[in-house]
Parts: sequence; C-alpha cells; structure tokens
Amino acid sequence: MSEITKRYPGTLALNKVDARLEEGEILSLLGENGAGKTTLMKILYGMEKPDAGEIFIHGEKVAFNNPNDAIARGICMVHQHFMLVPAFTVVENVIAGIEPRKGVFIDRRAAESKVAALVEKYRFNIDPHAKVESLSVGEQQRVEILKALYRDAKILILDEPSAVLTPYEVDELFITLRFLREQGTSIVIITHKLKETMNVADRVMVLRNGVLIHDDVKPADTNPQELSEMMVGRLIQLEARHPSPRIGGVKFSVKNLTVKDERGCEKVKDVSFDIREGEILGIAGIEGNGQCELIEALTGLTTPESGEVLLDGKPLCGTARDFIDRGVGHVPEDRTHMGLIAPMTIKCNMILGYQDCPDMSRHKLMRWKEIATYAETCREEFGVKTPTVEAPVSSLSGGNQQKVIIARVLSREHEALIVAHPTRGIDVGAQEYIHNELYKFRDKGKAMLLISADLDEVVKLSDRLLVIYEGRIVADCAPEEFSKVQLGLLMTGNSLESVKEVGA
Amino acid sequence: MNNDIILAIITSTLRLSVPVMLAAVGCSFSTRAGVTAFGCEGMMAAGAIFAVIGSDFTGSKWIGVLLAVLAGMLVSSLHAVLHVKYKVNATLSGMSVNLLGAALGALALKLVWKVSGMSPEVAAFSKIAATPSLSWMARIPVIGYVLGEQSLFFLITIVVVIVGWVFLYKTTFGLRMRMVGENPVAANTVGINTVRYKYMGVLVCGLLSGLAGAFLSLVGMNRYIMGMTAGRGYVAMVINNLGASNPIGSALSALFFGFFDCLQFVFQGVRTPSQILMMLPYVFTLIICVGNTKRSKGPAGVGQHFDS
Amino acid sequence: MNEHSRKRVSDGVMMFGRSALALLVALLIGGVVISLGGYSFVEVYTAIFKGSLGTSRGMLLSLATATPLMFTGLGFAIGIKVGIVNTGLEGQLYMGGLTAALVGIYVDFLPGPTHAAVTMLAGAIGGGAVGLLMGWFRTRFGAPEVITGIMLNSIITYFTGYLVNGPLKPAEAASPQTAPILKSAELSRLASKSQLTTALIVCVILCILIYLLQRRTIWGFKMTAVGMNPLAAKVAGINGSQMYLAALVLSGAMAGLGGAALVQGVFKRFVDIISNGYGFQGIPVSALAAHNPLGVIFAAILFGVLKAGATMVNQSTTIPFEFVDMVQALVVVFVAAPSIILSPIQKIRSFIKKKDSGPAAAGQGGAA
Repeated sequence: MSEITKRYPGTLALNKVDARLEEGEILSLLGENGAGKTTLMKILYGMEKPDAGEIFIHGEKVAFNNPNDAIARGICMVHQHFMLVPAFTVVENVIAGIEPRKGVFIDRRAAESKVAALVEKYRFNIDPHAKVESLSVGEQQRVEILKALYRDAKILILDEPSAVLTPYEVDELFITLRFLREQGTSIVIITHKLKETMNVADRVMVLRNGVLIHDDVKPADTNPQELSEMMVGRLIQLEARHPSPRIGGVKFSVKNLTVKDERGCEKVKDVSFDIREGEILGIAGIEGNGQCELIEALTGLTTPESGEVLLDGKPLCGTARDFIDRGVGHVPEDRTHMGLIAPMTIKCNMILGYQDCPDMSRHKLMRWKEIATYAETCREEFGVKTPTVEAPVSSLSGGNQQKVIIARVLSREHEALIVAHPTRGIDVGAQEYIHNELYKFRDKGKAMLLISADLDEVVKLSDRLLVIYEGRIVADCAPEEFSKVQLGLLMTGNSLESVKEVGA
Repeated sequence: MNNDIILAIITSTLRLSVPVMLAAVGCSFSTRAGVTAFGCEGMMAAGAIFAVIGSDFTGSKWIGVLLAVLAGMLVSSLHAVLHVKYKVNATLSGMSVNLLGAALGALALKLVWKVSGMSPEVAAFSKIAATPSLSWMARIPVIGYVLGEQSLFFLITIVVVIVGWVFLYKTTFGLRMRMVGENPVAANTVGINTVRYKYMGVLVCGLLSGLAGAFLSLVGMNRYIMGMTAGRGYVAMVINNLGASNPIGSALSALFFGFFDCLQFVFQGVRTPSQILMMLPYVFTLIICVGNTKRSKGPAGVGQHFDS
Repeated sequence: MNEHSRKRVSDGVMMFGRSALALLVALLIGGVVISLGGYSFVEVYTAIFKGSLGTSRGMLLSLATATPLMFTGLGFAIGIKVGIVNTGLEGQLYMGGLTAALVGIYVDFLPGPTHAAVTMLAGAIGGGAVGLLMGWFRTRFGAPEVITGIMLNSIITYFTGYLVNGPLKPAEAASPQTAPILKSAELSRLASKSQLTTALIVCVILCILIYLLQRRTIWGFKMTAVGMNPLAAKVAGINGSQMYLAALVLSGAMAGLGGAALVQGVFKRFVDIISNGYGFQGIPVSALAAHNPLGVIFAAILFGVLKAGATMVNQSTTIPFEFVDMVQALVVVFVAAPSIILSPIQKIRSFIKKKDSGPAAAGQGGAA
C-alpha cells in the first residue's frame, strides 16, 4: 500500500501511509485507539476507499469498490466484533454470500462437505451443524477464520483478535496462525497488545495519529517499553500503582448474592464480599461470567434471587432510583447506550439521574439557570473539551463523553461507586486522567467496586482483587499476588491449587 | 344439521383467511429482511381500489389483479424508501403509508366514478365450483365441496405460502435475505447488498398485500367499499408475529383469524347482535397479542441498518 | 445564555422550515393529482382558501374543524415524546365521547356550566381509561401499544355501534344514536350559527400547559429522557414504565376530550359514527407541528382551514374534498424525510453548477 491517505470529517485518519506485507509472514499492526490501524485495513479490505494512494498485489495495481472485490483477490478480514448470525449454523454462516448452488437452490451437500473438509484440515474442532449461538467465543472466532479459508484467503486480516479470548484461547489462536503461515498465508494482526505482538509477530509496524512511525521492527530486537514509546510518543508508566493510603471498616457488603438472568439461569452464584472505606475492590474476569448481572444487582437494575447488599450496615434494595438515593453511584459499562442520552445537551447529561435533587429542581420544576452554572463548573473541573455545555453530548469525543459521566458521578455525594470498564475505548492520556479521579474518590474514604475486562487496569487500580468465573468468586487476593498468566488461568476456571503449582 | 354448520365454518374460515394469509406471508418477507411490516393496511387498500379500477376500465379482472399488485408494490416502495433510505422509524413510515392508502381509496372513488362510499360493480372472480374451467375440482371426493366454494385466490394463496417458505429457507436469496434481517452489519461485510434485500422484502410485502386487497374487492364484493380493509393489514402483522415470521407459521395463524371472522356470518340471524360478532376477530387478535409474552423468535436484526 | 438562545432559535427556525416545506410540497402534489382529475390546480386552491378564510362563516368552520384535530394531535404529540406511537386515538375518542354522553344524559342534578365541565371531564376519563388499558398491556405484558391501539379502535367502535343500535337507542330515533344530552351539558358556542365552541379554548390552554410541563418540570425532563434513550434513563433511575403509562393515559385523555367536544358541541348526543378518522388525522397534525404542543395549535388550525375550505368547495362544485386526506398523509411523509424533497433539489443544483464551471470542475470531481 503506497501513500494511503484518508480523511474523515474533522480528522485526518491516515496521512500518506506506506505499508507492505510479505508472503507467509505475520505482521503486527500496532497503535493506540484512533491511530488509524483499523481504517488502513478497512481500506485494504475494500470497506472504505482511500482519498489518495494506491494498493498493489504482487506488483499489480488494484482498486476495491467493496469487500467482494477484495475477497476475489484473496483478502479476508476477521472483525473484532464477530460478524456472525447466532441463529444460523456454522455452515450457513460460512457460506452466506458465496453459496454453492443448484440452480436457485442451495447445494447443501456441497457446502457441508467443503466446510467439514476445512474443519478437518485445520483441526478446528467444531461441529459444522451446530448453531453459532451455542459455541464458545474462541470457537466462534474460528468460524470467522473458517469464513476466510472457505474463500481461499491468501491474506488474512485479524482485528484485535485477542480482545475477547482467555490467555489459553489466545495461545490456541496463535498455534492456528502459525500453521496458516506455514501454508503460505500472510497475516496482519491489528492490535494494541504489546505482549502478543512480541509473542507471535514476525515483524511489527507502528502507526501513531495516522502516521507511519516504524515499519521494520523485529520483535527480537525490541521490548514492550520501546514499542509503547513508539505507539504513544512518550514514556508512560505502564504499571505504576497508587495503593490506598488508609483502609477503614467495612462499608459495602454483599452477602450470598444469587442473580438470575431473564431466561432463569443463575448468572451470579452465592457471591459474598466486602469493600472497605478507602478501598478499590477489583473484579477480574472474562466478559460474560456474571459481571453484568452482578452490576445490575448492585445498582438496583435487577432484583437478586437471594442474598443481600448492605451499605453502612443497612440493607440496600429497590430500584435504581433507590440505590442512587442511598448514595450508590454507577459508571455504566456502555457509555453510549447506558450512560448518556446522545441528542441531549451536555448540561442535561451532567445532571441525568440527579434531577430530583434540591439543587437541580424545586417544587417539581427544573432550575435551569442553576443547572447551567453547575454544568459549567463541572466542565471546568473535569476538563471536558467543549466550547459550550449547550452542545449535544454526541458532539464530544469518546474520551470527553466518558469524562462527562465521571464528572456527573463524582460531583455528587456518593458513598460507594460501582464502576464498569471506565476506560474502554479511551486513549492513554484520558485513561490516566480518569484513573486519577477514581483515586481521589477512594482517598476520601469511600468504597469502589471496579470491574474491567482490561486485566492490566484492574490489577493496577485495585487494592484487593477478586476473580470471577461462571458467576462465582474463585480467588480473593492482593493484586500482586499472582502473575497475569496465573490470573488468566483463574479467569478460565482452573482451581486455585493448580494455579499455585504452575508458579508465576 | 351439525354437519352443515361444520362445513359452513370450514368453508368460511378458509375463504376469510385468504387476505390475511397473503398479507401475513408478505409480512414474513418484510420482517425476515429486517423491516417491520407496518403499512400493510395501506398496501391492501391500494390493492383493493386499483383492482376495481383495473377491472372497470378494461373489463378484465386479471388486469385488475395486475394493477392491484403494482399499486401495492408502489405504495410499499414509499415505506421502503422512507425507512431504508432515510432511516425513518418503521412505525411512522408505515403509518404514513396506511394514511395514504386510505386517502387514495376515497379520492379514487371521487375522481374516477364521482361517487363516495362505494364503487359500481365490476367484473370479478366467482367461486371455483362456478368457474367452468375449474369446476372439476368441486367434484374431488372429500374436499370437493369446500374447495368448490373457494375462489381461485385460495389456490394462489396456498402456492404463495409454499413458494414463500421454499424461497426463504432453501434458496440462496432466502439465506441472504434472512441474514440481512438477522445481522445486517455482518451481511454487509460478506458483500451482501443489504439495501437491495430490504427493498425486496418490503416490495414482496407490498405485492402480496396488494394481492390481498384485490381479493377483498374482487371476490364476493365485486366492488370497492370505503374501509374495506377493516384493520386486516394490522391483523396480518400480528399474525406474522405469532407465526414467528415464517410463512407456514403465519398461514396457520391466519386460519385462526379466519375462523373468528367467519363466526359473524355463520351465526347471522341468531340472537347475538352483529357488532359483537364483528368484534370477535379483533378481540381474539388482541388476546393473542397480549398473551404472547414469550415473544416469538423473529429475526434479531429488525430495524437495524448496515451502518448502525 | 446568548449563544444558547441563538441555538434554540435556529433549531426552531429549521423545524419550522422543515414543516413549511413539507406542507408546501404536499399541497403541490395534491394539486397535481387534482389536476389529473380534470380540475384546475389554481382554481381549486383559491376556491378552498376563499371558502375557509374569505367569509366569517368559513373561518368559524375552519376553527370548529380544527378543534378535534387539535385534541388528537396533542394526544399523539404527548405520546411520541416518550417514544409511544398512540394508534388508539380513534378508539379513545369514541370512548370519551360515549362516557361524556352518558354523563351528559343521565347526570341531571348539576347546573349549567358545571355540568358541561364535568361532562368534559368524563370524556377525558373515558379516553384516559383506554390509554391506561393500553399502558397496562404494554408494561405488564410487553404488548406493543401500536398494535393494541389498532385492535382497540375496532373493538370500541363496534361496541359503541352496538350500544347506539340497541340498548342506548331511544325508541323514537330514526338513526343509531343515544338520547340527546341535557342542555346544561352543552358547550357554549363562541359564535351563533356555528359549531365552534369553548372546547377550542380549552384545547389551546391544554396545549400551552403541556408545552410548559414538558420544558419546565422534572416530569417533562424524565419523559424526554425516556423517549430519547430508555436504557440510559433506566440506569439513571428513571422509571420508564411509569412514564409510558402516564403518557398513554394523558394522550388518551386528550383524545377523549376530543370525543366529548364532538358530543357536547356538534352532535349534542352520541351517534354511530362520531368521527371519521380524527384519531388518525392527529398524526399528520402532530407531524406538521414537529410534535411540539405549541405547534399543534397552528398545525391543527392549518388543517382545519384546508378541510373546511374543501368541504365548502365540495358543496358548490364536484371537487372532491378527499384529496385533503391525501395532502395530510403526504405531510407526514415529507416531515419525516425532508431529504426526499431536498436531495433531488441538491442534485439539480450541483448539476447546474457543473455545467456552469465547465470541464475543469468536472475533472476535479472525477478524481475523488
């Protein structure tokens, strides 16, 4: 790819970027969120058109109008969010769009045999007739790769493949990738995970703010510190911790909590833990092990099946309204759908949930003047980058949107905070800022529950760490007690004893 | 005595479920492509009026049917354009189509025949037993009588249901359409033109609803009467939901509606006042709608667009 | 504060422009259809506006026609703010009319104005009760109000039809209807020889009240939040179910008041067909008003002018008044998607621009 440039309204996503890929190599495309890695690959895959620049395959110039053109050239992309239909079978998902035909009808037998042959050859170990919704995340990812192989892909692009996998599944994936490389397939892995890059890549290419920084780095010649410097442009403290200055008595208590989901399955099974004053309790775990249901029970969004939640010794129950009134603040995991109301102004979003408080309203009437002043103060205090609080909150960048939610929650008097994935999709700079604000809250002697899929974040922030697996707490330890690998093993259901034997 | 009533019920049920069944299969296509099938009422009304216009102007009832189908598709394309291209909420765009359909009917009556209320009588379809080329069907043992009392539309409907099911579940187009309805973003990444399939789904719905409208005006009534559709388009939507957006499921559910609808005719003259009987199909539909708490599994991606 | 008001004004202007454009294009297309029928576009429209605005009789008729539209339009607007599409306005109107008629006929111990007021209130309660039922279906069973509303429309109209053909019909009546309401329940006319009553004033006041409620109260803030993002509102502790229920009850009450206004002001009794689609016509009214309660006042009057004019024209000529229904439907279409009008205009514009600037411009466009 030569001198690829792409403009989006308001930003220059890619600025004259050159990239190359050798046959039979694994290239790691490294960069922060917003660096342009996904955009570059979307152009290669034909999902976007570059404003300038050209693409060559084996020296021949090509131009893609849509993914079909790219697929015809042997380029396939496996997206971060799987593009699968849960209700369809593996075979149906693989062949959709390129079905073998008998006239107007689908030639089922041909489809099934070809898919089965591929599963056999690459040792994927999945049942072609199974419905995708019944497969594990790792298996679903293999179906995605199967889609590419079915289309005779010579170039495979993987977008953040390890984001949803356990450490064990990541290793399995890399074995598959290495096997594919032996067969002559070229692979590009888009990632911001340094460790995996070091692990599996033959070569590393670094993008920062749409510009190519380096494209011939060999993992053997570098280390994570150097790579992260290239990614961010400055030295960042990767692992610096801020332990709590003072931890007091029990503030927030969960006893024998069991929560069922809408289908009646137990998602949280008899969970108990305490959070003390001035403590951040972190819960590590792969998404889907009961964290959502736990958060819902602790914020009043669901009623638990059994067990109780106590704040300062008194039971907490009722609706989200009751929980908020009692002083439990909530930073939801999905800021766009759960945390903010996009068309509403920043001012309105700043008071969302707190509109009944005496400083926001009186006699059921909103006090808009006071609210405006309040919103301006919050904007100053938390550094939300916007010219006015009257703008719709959708006009803000992701980082600033998250800041609005943090500002909203931290500007009120809360006794405890339930914080979920506070820095998901946020760049390193804003991440540091938000972490500092969370420390400040904790240091006032309050309690905080932190749940995050980012293991590094949880380990860094927590004063104490729990590991959740299939709705149960399987470990309760100090954050430095176990290595990341050990934590990964705990997160995937290995017992405490077996993990201790493995060693760091 | 009892046998006669049972026969009458079966015959009427089949006859009266035809329009709802046709429209419901149309709704299946629309829903499977991910577009909420609102607007059937207007498509049906358009079909009904244009069927009569066509039949009146050319003297041929088949031209009437053709015109009805085209009208239904034209009207449905408005719903498609509003919802798929301009991302308007499907309920609102469907509602505007319904309003338009109703208005078209009244307007056409005035402009074409200078009357209001109902049109003059036109060439229409008679029952199978009375059609010379088909009357042999009435002599088939066991089902002959019931079949003979139906119109040609009944046979067309059965064909539509079967073809519809085969299309959706056995052909490549069907697989792709269903994928568009389940996960349009994913469909887009494998190169499926989601917009085209959504349009197709809505147009098929318009086609079949228009056909249903033609049935209403050209079979039995032989004319267009204001308010003919009487909410059947909405009923078709509910029935499709009940049948899990599957043509065969929808067809079976439509039979239930037909049953309740026929009661007002079967029990005519008996003590119960007519309006109470006419109320029954809607009460039934309401109960189904309310009691159907375990929402039937429709496609997961209804209302989504490929860039949402 | 200045920038804030500036933005509010510019938003308002845009919304107004959008509605005005939609109405104009709808009228245009209506005119085209009419001319297909052999009538002159210009003639038809001048006749309509002369009829409705040229004489005092016409103006009174316009306002009288606007009254039920304003009630149902307000009802729809209330619902849509929370994300509820109230398709049951017609049935709620009928029910309101019925309950108003019952109170108007059988409650005979109240004096003049009080009786009229209580009767109106009964109408509101009747319509509100249907709204409550729909709300209950939704919150308790998850049944979408869009469908239950339609079903209830039919059920209620058949049921009231049964009542006025049977139990409630007085022996001497020629057509299906109830006994006339007592004089004390009638609404006072605003002008003699016209159907315009104080109901209009009641409705305008309600529109203003609802507008203030939406803008100034906590309740309004919560409703807006739920309408825009029900999940985020729930996380913020706002009870969506309560909001939906309240909106449906209020919306139904408005439609019920519309029915009461028809019974007390126009028919003086409950008849078989008290409304010919006023419930559904509330949707174009609300759409033209951009779902703003204040706007409903003007939108309803606009449509009232159109309909009244068309009715008057229809009396003296053969020009069909039904095309106003079509114009109404088209308004909904164009308000919902102004781009339908705007993008062809854009295309024509850029085409003209290209032709003017010549080959150089075309070359530039090609490289992109």
